[in-house]
Amino acid sequence: MPTQSDSYSEVIRKVLISRAGTTPDAGMVAEATLIIWRRMAALLAPVIGVRGVDVLFSRALQLTSKAFPCLAIAGAQGDSAVLLANLKAKLAANATNDAMEAGHALLVTFTELLSTLIGESLTERLLSPVLASPAPISEQETE
Amino acid sequence: MNTKVIIRRLNTGVPGLDQILGGGLPEFSFNLIVGQPGTGKTTLAHQIMFALATPERPALFFTILGEPPLKMLRYQQQFSFFDLDQVNASIRYINLSDEVAKHSFEQVLTRITHEVEVFSPALVFVDSFRSVMVESQDLCEGPISLQQFIQQLGILLSGWQTTTFLIGEYLSERNPNPVLTVADGLLSLEQSVYRNSMVRKMQVIKMRGQATRPGMHTFRITAAGIEIFPAALVRVDSGDMTATSGEEQNRVRLTTGIPRLDEMLGGGLPSGYSLLVAGPSGSGKTILATKFLSEGVRCGEPGVIVAFEQTPSQSWIRTLDDLIIKGQIGLINTRALDLSIDEIVQNLTNLIHKMKATRVVIDSLSGFELAVAPTFRDDFRESLFRMVTVLSGLGVTVLMTSELEDRYIDLRFSPYGSAFLTDAIIVQRYIEVNSRLKRVMAVVKVRASNHSDEIRQFEITNEGIVIGDPVHDFEGLLGGRPTRMLDADTVVRGKP
Repeated sequence: MPTQSDSYSEVIRKVLISRAGTTPDAGMVAEATLIIWRRMAALLAPVIGVRGVDVLFSRALQLTSKAFPCLAIAGAQGDSAVLLANLKAKLAANATNDAMEAGHALLVTFTELLSTLIGESLTERLLSPVLASPAPISEQETE
Repeated sequence: MNTKVIIRRLNTGVPGLDQILGGGLPEFSFNLIVGQPGTGKTTLAHQIMFALATPERPALFFTILGEPPLKMLRYQQQFSFFDLDQVNASIRYINLSDEVAKHSFEQVLTRITHEVEVFSPALVFVDSFRSVMVESQDLCEGPISLQQFIQQLGILLSGWQTTTFLIGEYLSERNPNPVLTVADGLLSLEQSVYRNSMVRKMQVIKMRGQATRPGMHTFRITAAGIEIFPAALVRVDSGDMTATSGEEQNRVRLTTGIPRLDEMLGGGLPSGYSLLVAGPSGSGKTILATKFLSEGVRCGEPGVIVAFEQTPSQSWIRTLDDLIIKGQIGLINTRALDLSIDEIVQNLTNLIHKMKATRVVIDSLSGFELAVAPTFRDDFRESLFRMVTVLSGLGVTVLMTSELEDRYIDLRFSPYGSAFLTDAIIVQRYIEVNSRLKRVMAVVKVRASNHSDEIRQFEITNEGIVIGDPVHDFEGLLGGRPTRMLDADTVVRGKP
C-alpha cells in the first residue's frame, strides 16, 4: 500500500515534469518549481494566512536543505520575494536532474508538513487544483 | 392582506440550541458568541456552520489573528460534524490577519465586502472578534472608527442577507461595546470550575424577536460536538394541577408486583404519580423498585431506570440486567461526578420517548446527589423539583428511592426535604424484636387516595419482598425498640 509520502511524491513529480516540459534544463525546472509553489501558496494563503504559509515554507526549505545543501539560503526567514528569487537562482545553478530532485523534495516536504498539521484529506482538498492529475503541458496551454 | 414579514428560523444542528434560542436561529440575524478562552465558542460556530451550510446556502469563515488557522483546522476536524467535503465547496475559510495587522478598518471592511460579493454567502462567521478590538488601538487612526466599522459591517451583512456570527471574548460591562447594540443575538459561554469538577454553561442573553429559554443551560463537548441540556421549564400547567379530585380518583392504578403492597396503597399506585421509597441501607428499596419495573414489563408497560448504585451478583439485579439486555427496560447508568440534573433529565426524556416508557425508577436520590457536580448541589432540591415536574408532565409514573439514616428520635422521609414533591411515600425502617432486626414498612401518603395506615412487617426472600400482617401487638415501632402491648395474645410474625 503506498504511504502518504509515496503518493505525494508521485503526484508532485508528475506535476513538476508536466510543468517543466519534456526536455527541460535546470532553469525550466526552477521556474516550474516556483510556479507550483506560488499556486500552492495562493490556494493556502486565504485559508491559513500569508504568515502561516511563509512559516511552513521556511521550515520545508530548512528541512530539505539538509539533503540538498544547494537549497540552503541564508536568511530564509526574510522577505519572501527575495527568498524566492534566491531559491530560483540556486535551483537553476544545478544540473537538471539535481534541480529536479531538489525542487521535488522541497514541494513534497512542504505538502507533508501541511498534511501532518491539518490531515491528509484536508490537504488534498485544499491543494487539489495543483495536485489533480496534470494534463500535458501542450493541452494546458490550449485550454 | 397580511403583509407582515415572516422571520424564518434556521435549525442550528446543535442539540438543545434551538430550544434555548426559542425555536431556532432567526435568518439574517447578526449574532455574537462570547466567552472566555476554552469555553467552546469556535466549536459552537463550526458546528452551526457545518449543519447549516449547503451549496445553495454557502458559508464564509473569516479568521483574524487569535487562534492560528492551521491549529483551528487541525483541532476542529476531530469533531464528527466536520465534513471535509464541504470545505471549499459550501464552506470557505478566509484569513484576514494581514489586513488587520497592517491596514485600517476600512481595508478590513473592503476585504470582507469583496469576499462577500464574490462568494455571496448566506452565513458569515468572524473569529475572533476580540482580535479586531485589540488591534483597534492601532487601527482607530484610520478613516473610520471601530464603531463605524461595526455598524457598517452590520449594515453590509444584513444588506447581503447573511446570517452572521461574530465570535469573541466577553466584552466588559464597564466598557460597553458598540457591537452589543448592533447585535440581534448574544450567546454567552462559560465554564465554571468548582472543587474537582468543571461544568460548561451557556446563556442566551439576547435574541431579538423571540422568547428565549431563560437561565443557564449546561452543555457538554464530546467527539460529536456540543450538546446542550436546556434547563427544564416548569410550566404552570404541568403536572396535575388542573386535575380535579374526581379525576384523581379515576386514575388508572399500577400494580407494584408486590403482594399486599398494592392493597396498602389503596389499590395500586395511581398512574402519573411520583412515589418516594425512603429507608435505611439494606431495607429493600432497590428490590421494591426492581419489582415495580419487572411488573411493568409483565403488564406491557416498559420502564426506565436511572441507576446510581449497583451491587452486581444479587438475584434481583440479575433479573433487572436480563430485562435491560432484552431491551424491555432502559438503563441510564452513570457514576460521573460532573452531571447537571438537566443533562440527566434530557437523557431520561429521550430514553422515555424511545422506549415509550411509562414507569421510571431513580435509584437513588442519594447516589444522584453524589453524581451531580458540586456546583449544583446547593440547588439540588430545586433541581429535583424541576425534574419531578418534567417527568410528571410526561405522564410517567416515577419511583424514587432515598437512603435514610435510621433515626429513632425523629420521623423523616427524605434528607432533601423532597418529600413534599412526591405524591406518595413509603417508608421502611428497622426495628428490634427479640434481639433481632426486623423490617417494617408503612404507606405514609398517597395523594387524593385512601391508603393503609398500618405498619407492616416484611421480609426479603429469594422471591423478593414478602409483606406480613399488620403489627398489632407492639407499640413504639418507630422508636426502634417496640414493646409488646399488654393486651396482645400472640406475636404476629410476618408471613407470606
